[in-house]
Amino acid sequence: MRLDKSRESQNKSERIIPLGTLGHLVIFLWCLVLVLYSTFENMFWISGLCILVLTILYPGAWKSVINARRLILLGLIAIPPIFFLGAVDKIFLGVPYSSLGFISSIQIILRFLVVMMALEGMTSSVEISAMAGILERFGLKGLGFSMGVAVNLLPSLQKSCTQSWLILKMRGGLRKSWWKGIKLFSLTTITCAIKRAEEIALAAESRAFSPDKTRPWPIERSPFDWVVFSSACLSILLIIL
Amino acid sequence: MKLSTKNLVILAVFGTLWGISEITLGTALKTLNIPLSGVLLSAIGLMIALIGRIFIPKKGSTLFIGIIATLLKLFSLGGVVIGPMIGIISEAIVAEVVLSLTGKPRQGTMILAGSLGVLWVLVQPFVTNPLLFGRAVFVVWEKLILNGSQLLGLGNKAVFLILGIMICIHLAIGVIAGIVSWNLGHTLQKRVGMSSEE
Repeated sequence: MRLDKSRESQNKSERIIPLGTLGHLVIFLWCLVLVLYSTFENMFWISGLCILVLTILYPGAWKSVINARRLILLGLIAIPPIFFLGAVDKIFLGVPYSSLGFISSIQIILRFLVVMMALEGMTSSVEISAMAGILERFGLKGLGFSMGVAVNLLPSLQKSCTQSWLILKMRGGLRKSWWKGIKLFSLTTITCAIKRAEEIALAAESRAFSPDKTRPWPIERSPFDWVVFSSACLSILLIIL
Repeated sequence: MKLSTKNLVILAVFGTLWGISEITLGTALKTLNIPLSGVLLSAIGLMIALIGRIFIPKKGSTLFIGIIATLLKLFSLGGVVIGPMIGIISEAIVAEVVLSLTGKPRQGTMILAGSLGVLWVLVQPFVTNPLLFGRAVFVVWEKLILNGSQLLGLGNKAVFLILGIMICIHLAIGVIAGIVSWNLGHTLQKRVGMSSEE
């Protein structure tokens, strides 16, 4: 989800094919379905295809996927199977390893890369409100409005929580009767939040806002969306069947 | 599910509170690598969602809160975090299904929703790891037993004992979350002078 303007403009300028919200969502789901259904025989070319498509659509996605934190996480997930999964039947440079575990590790690495790139690409191209707009169309009416309220409330509620915590700390913190302290902190935080909610609801109603009369949040459309959707469905059918 | 403006705003507030707990506390706990941090986060999140259900006792309201929290989790430090996002939405679905069994929220269903929601933390790796990262179920199982044995100070051989104790810990924390949210929800209703029917 677009977090800042610089990232937004950077992504827009980097993008070769301008897709709408549905197009981005289809690409994400397409990658997910393909990697989930891939077997060891077709894993390499399926992952290669996904990475190629993702690199064309989101040229900057790999930069945020390949970072130290994620690589450490990937190492923690992918390295142990090489030595512990299945029988240790091969030796490479004097280090014994399991061929079954090695295959499993490659599968893990490729899936990880595809899933992370697809997720990064989608979240950097689609706004949170657009996601809410899609969900609204699936029956969650008013989600777009609620998301707007939530995003605007986030900094002020965060500040209010911090202030309540600091006040509690100044009055002795959780050293003595910690349970009472936590209870008081929760009560204060939620009461403040609800009071704020009442003000927002009143302001929205005074502007004649009604969830029944509002149109769902508009979602970005592109002529390429249907092309992407049809191609994705066709390729999934071809690969799975 | 028909919601008024006030209902929508209140759900947004509870979703934001769950989102804040995941963004701030979640990042801190994961960085410090505290054991059972997922359980603690899930209990806090579910408590917020269950209190929200007391305020808006309509079918789908818990799921609504969960969706808002999931989308807000995208603001988390360190970029996209798919595991916690799946966790939040799954816990909300579990709680929603349990709470939808009875029309009006009751203490029993609240406790059940809390305990099953927290228990999901134990089950989630078995679903997400093989599906998303192709990790074998056996590896996930092995890691669970190893973590459990380290946490409880038991030998690796006592597999069923470790598993049983882990399930009991998760369920107990969930039960506490359910009881606390029931009591806190009603105290809050009295404090802000707002009934469930409002």
